[in-house]
Amino acid sequence: MFSGWNFMAHGLYLFLNFCSIEVSGALVQSCGHIIPESPVLALGSNFTALCILNESCLDFGNIYANQIIWKIKNRMVPKEQYREINRTVSSVTFNDTSSLATPLTCNILADGQMEQNIYGITVTLGLPPEKPKNLSCIVYQVSKLIYPMTCTWDPGRHTFLDTQFRLKYRWPREDFPDCIPKDANSSCTITDVQFFVNLEVWVEAANALGKAESDRLIFDPIEIVKPLSPHNLSINSGILPSVLKLSWENRISAAAMKLKFNIRYRIIGETDWMQIPPEDTASPRTSFSVQSLRPYTEYVFSIRCMKEDGVGYWSDWSEDKTGMTTEDKPSKGPPLWRIIDASHSPVFWTVHLIWKALQPPETNGIILQYEVTVRARPPLSRLPEKYSVNSTCLTLKLPNGTYEVTVVAHNRAGMSPSSVLLIPARNSEAPVKNIKTLAKDGKLWVVWTAPNSSVLRYIVEWCLVSNSSDCVTEWQSEPENVQGTHLKGDIKPFKCYLITVYPLYADGQGSGQSVKAYLQQDRPSKGPTVQTKKVGKAEAVLMWNHLPVDEQNGFIRSYTIFYKTVDGNETAVSVDPSKTEYTLSSLASDTLYTVRMMAYTDEGGRSGPDFTFTTQKFGEGEIEAIVVPVCLAFLLIVLLGVLVCFNKRDLIKKHIWPNVPDPSKSNIAQWSPQVPAKHNFSSKEQMYPEGSFTDVSVVKIEADDKKSFSEQDLKPFDLLKKEKGTSEGHSSGIGGSSCMSSPRQSVSDSDEGEATQNTSSTVQYSTVVLNGYRDQTPAVQVFSRSESTQPLLDSEERVEDPAGGHGGSMPRLQYFRQNCGQDETTTDRLRFERAKQVVSPASEEDLVGFAQLQISGQNSQLLALGLEINPEEAALAEVLQASTEGLCTVRPETVEENPAAVNEMPKSYLPQTVRQGGYMPQ
Amino acid sequence: CRSNVYEQTRKQVALLNATAQDLFSLYLKCQGEPFSSETDKLCSPNGFFFPDFHENRTSEKEVMVAMYKLFAFLNASLGNITRDQEELNPTAKELLDRLHNTTKTTQGLISNLTCLLCKNYNIFQVDVRYGPNSKGKRAFKKKQQGCQVLRKYVQVISHAARIL
Repeated sequence: MFSGWNFMAHGLYLFLNFCSIEVSGALVQSCGHIIPESPVLALGSNFTALCILNESCLDFGNIYANQIIWKIKNRMVPKEQYREINRTVSSVTFNDTSSLATPLTCNILADGQMEQNIYGITVTLGLPPEKPKNLSCIVYQVSKLIYPMTCTWDPGRHTFLDTQFRLKYRWPREDFPDCIPKDANSSCTITDVQFFVNLEVWVEAANALGKAESDRLIFDPIEIVKPLSPHNLSINSGILPSVLKLSWENRISAAAMKLKFNIRYRIIGETDWMQIPPEDTASPRTSFSVQSLRPYTEYVFSIRCMKEDGVGYWSDWSEDKTGMTTEDKPSKGPPLWRIIDASHSPVFWTVHLIWKALQPPETNGIILQYEVTVRARPPLSRLPEKYSVNSTCLTLKLPNGTYEVTVVAHNRAGMSPSSVLLIPARNSEAPVKNIKTLAKDGKLWVVWTAPNSSVLRYIVEWCLVSNSSDCVTEWQSEPENVQGTHLKGDIKPFKCYLITVYPLYADGQGSGQSVKAYLQQDRPSKGPTVQTKKVGKAEAVLMWNHLPVDEQNGFIRSYTIFYKTVDGNETAVSVDPSKTEYTLSSLASDTLYTVRMMAYTDEGGRSGPDFTFTTQKFGEGEIEAIVVPVCLAFLLIVLLGVLVCFNKRDLIKKHIWPNVPDPSKSNIAQWSPQVPAKHNFSSKEQMYPEGSFTDVSVVKIEADDKKSFSEQDLKPFDLLKKEKGTSEGHSSGIGGSSCMSSPRQSVSDSDEGEATQNTSSTVQYSTVVLNGYRDQTPAVQVFSRSESTQPLLDSEERVEDPAGGHGGSMPRLQYFRQNCGQDETTTDRLRFERAKQVVSPASEEDLVGFAQLQISGQNSQLLALGLEINPEEAALAEVLQASTEGLCTVRPETVEENPAAVNEMPKSYLPQTVRQGGYMPQ
Repeated sequence: CRSNVYEQTRKQVALLNATAQDLFSLYLKCQGEPFSSETDKLCSPNGFFFPDFHENRTSEKEVMVAMYKLFAFLNASLGNITRDQEELNPTAKELLDRLHNTTKTTQGLISNLTCLLCKNYNIFQVDVRYGPNSKGKRAFKKKQQGCQVLRKYVQVISHAARIL
């Protein structure tokens, strides 16, 4: 109960106590305080603070030192650091002030564990100043009489405290006010210093924790001067074109400081400075003559100074000042070259003399004109010709020969040394070898191997190869000791240049060696446009044009053809770049292909447009191989049909319009052999006019037994048998419808053989039967005759005559023409023999011709048989040869050549026997 | 004192000698007429105190003492002249700069001479006489007094330069 009241009373007291402080301020004392009050402590040091309670508080609040609690901010300091000095004083100790923070408070733990603050202090932590280091001073000349001095130093570590730096300086017997830095703590400027008095300078740094001084410097300020640069620099041209005189003013008294100088200069427009040797300007001066300058060249000069003995600092460089040297004679002649155009005339050259305009420094002034002298060398004899030219080219038309051309350049100061070019009649000297190109450092280099002979210099020609413009030649001259140079011109990347190197000798020049080159390659601008030249079933011939050189952008190393079907994989084929055609093979027929082409340089390739084509369904010749045989087969069939029809025309004719014998014209009584006079041969001649008869009679003389032929062998001759008349024994009798009544055919038939010949429908026929019918031997020759022009009835024609079908198998068939009228005077036997005679002297070729002529349309097999000559018949012909002298030849041409003989005879062949006196009755 | 003090002293005197004539000419120019045209008449040193400085002095010590007296006098006089010109010709910047510079040079020279006298000759005290103070005088008198001092200064400093 007591403690409760005591607690309440204590709390009330403290409340009133703090309230009284808050309300009445200094009028009410607090219960304690801390010493030291707001200390400044060095970081890392130890520190002890005391909290002292007022005695008055002890009586009212029962507050004692053992109840004090120390706090840093809101963190309680461990009680191990406390120490109760007496009942009113408690101390706290920190071995390292780094753990300290603000505020440090002294608190009391009253009854009821209520914590009340008694007092608090602010603790400032920091470091004492370090000794300033690296003190250095420099005197800057700002005018002719004012020399402020600026000293800088290293202030050292950060102290976390307000630290004052002071620059102190003094003469031996006189102190000056400190220089206090304004905006920095590492430098200070003394407004004016005096030369030739030793000055002692140091820096003092001070803060709440201490003071530090730098090392002291003692120096004469004249030793640390950075003077102002010389001014009013002027440049005057000297007497010589290579000299300029510089003059200037120094801004420091020579009495105060003797100066030395640096002079630098450069050609205007260039960036690199040249400098006068320092030893030439190491003494005080206000002028200097710069020598060995280029004539007629504008220079920029600048100058600086420092103390003569080198102690101190160089001034800044003065402002640039320009000056120009005067003109001098050009130092060298212009590089000279020529372009010869010999295409117009074989006798004259058009020589384009070209030379480079001299460039500084060679010009040494303004080139006013060039003087060109052309001297012809023997054998030409021409006086030297001089030309004054304002440009850099001269075109002359000269006779072919060797010339020496000289060019000099003139300016106001004089003329240059001469440039000489020998133009030989022909470039016969040794050329350079191994010419190569390479690109390096953005330049296109050409290198070569020098010829063995002594070269005066080289000419390097080049031009841009382009489709859109002519090759404009540029050139440059190179001395004899180089074997490579870069092209000194506007060399563009991705452009093709044709470079030619000529060696020039004292007595001529070598032929040019050329090479093409690129400064930089790129992919082609576009790819080749490919198209088909020919498309087959399994192959396609592609063609393209080479890319224009403007679009190549480099050397075309290869082409690649890509082709594919619509749904197939793409196939690539590499093609030599020199080709413009390529044949794709193994293609599928009747298939759509897409093809494109890429051109590659060293830097890559670019594809051209796609091109599509479709392979053919049939290969070359396949259609022809099908169509032609079919057509031939058709044609053959047609021909066979025609032949058959032709051969069967009589048969067909019989079926269509058969010949009906005209009985009214039949004269069977007159037909009797006893009245042969009835035959009016003249009427026959009228009936068969001359020339209308073209048929031949076939006389078959064969003694073979026709029984030796089988029926089968005879079948092929059935048709023939139908068309021919047979033996007289088979005459149809009255009505004239005998087997010989066919109006167009004359057939000689026998058992031994037969022969058939077609005649016109109006030809009468006769048959001479030598053998007897069916092995019967006739007593006399039998002639059958019919004057009817009507075809026989089929039934009448079909005479069973086995002998008629033996023609094809007969060993020999002999032919003769019946229009040989002389033969008709002989007997049939003789006629037969004469036939042998006619045939025998003729060659086989003659016979072929003869046979072809006579029996066109006859079966060739039949003809071949007719060409064979029986030896017996040949022998017989030999016998008959003498008696047939003077008779017409059987050769068709002979017939034609003997028209008189023909004319003497009626143009009727049948019946031959009419002129022999009529028929002999059987 | 460092070993180079004597050389420094010589250079200081040479420097003053090199600039004395220009200073005097500029001073006359800035004072206007009649000082420009009547220099000899107006700036005559007759009746005007100036420390003696004779070339026939034999010992270096005497020379140093005499120089000390001379430059002590000059320093004070230049101070007065500078003050007067700041009042009379405040816009004559070059003149003021030259006066300041010369004054400070003489001040440095005195420091060096003090050092030399103390170190080399153990002289710690030298009796010095100064010229009349121009403060409160009329402008013409101020100008005239300055002209008299500077004219004499030009003459004496050349002697001193030859001796050192």
